[in-house]
Amino acid sequence: MPIIKWKVGIVSCSGEEIPEGTISRVATRLVLEKLRPDETVTICLPLFLAGGEGERTFAKVFPTITVDGCEKRCAEKGTMKYSGKPFATIVVTDSLKKCPDVGLKSRDQLSSEELVLAEKVAEEIAKKVDEALNQEMKQLRSEKP
Amino acid sequence: MSEKGKVVVVACAGMDKPLGSVTSASVFKVVEKLRPRNVELVCIPPLLSGVSSHSELIRNLPVITVDGCAERCATKLIVKSGGKIRGRIFVPDSVKKHNLLPESASHLGPNGEKLVENIAEEIAAEVDRLVQET
Repeated sequence: MPIIKWKVGIVSCSGEEIPEGTISRVATRLVLEKLRPDETVTICLPLFLAGGEGERTFAKVFPTITVDGCEKRCAEKGTMKYSGKPFATIVVTDSLKKCPDVGLKSRDQLSSEELVLAEKVAEEIAKKVDEALNQEMKQLRSEKP
Repeated sequence: MSEKGKVVVVACAGMDKPLGSVTSASVFKVVEKLRPRNVELVCIPPLLSGVSSHSELIRNLPVITVDGCAERCATKLIVKSGGKIRGRIFVPDSVKKHNLLPESASHLGPNGEKLVENIAEEIAAEVDRLVQET
């Protein structure tokens, strides 16, 4: 019997127009590379939207977490349209409301303050990853004969 | 500045590959440092979500696409959305040309940074060419 390791797909917005988009991408990379490297994969949003079958199929089968930089919620909308409801959605502008003193400046290089914000968003994502995997495990256990 | 001296740049965001990070970093250099007055950066997902200001920009101004891999999502999606592509940068070609590779998606390293500088210059040269033509 094949062993399937459950993974969570993180779909980050491209967010090239605003610094919050850079926070989305940096936070996503922190989760993929440092916080939950074995439990997560990323889904390339432009490829997903362009019709990437692998990406769309993955997002239909495995739980996804969308990370959007702004209220346009492009990652969430795209995932809903092509693969179904994400397990969780994170909007960086909402997360930043908890840190009103930090003004975001550049899309290119994050300052040390901005990097701390990205780390906080990454922790939020990691928490959702754990919740998604716990839910999948519970469901698997309940389906056992 | 009138719309006449403006060019749209559309880059793939390529979260899943190091060259996607190179692509993003290169266009940021162009829009924030090299040619801030001439470039409108259009993000792909809102364009596809139907944000009308984005559709108008890609239809009315010359577009440069910057693709990080052979899927060429930026080019494909601009064609599909009715944009006027007047310049294209294919990052894997630039990698071969400059013989430079990034270390990883999150840490480009000195060679990756050098590659970003070179690609940003290539994009800026395309911007200048298109601005001259308009």
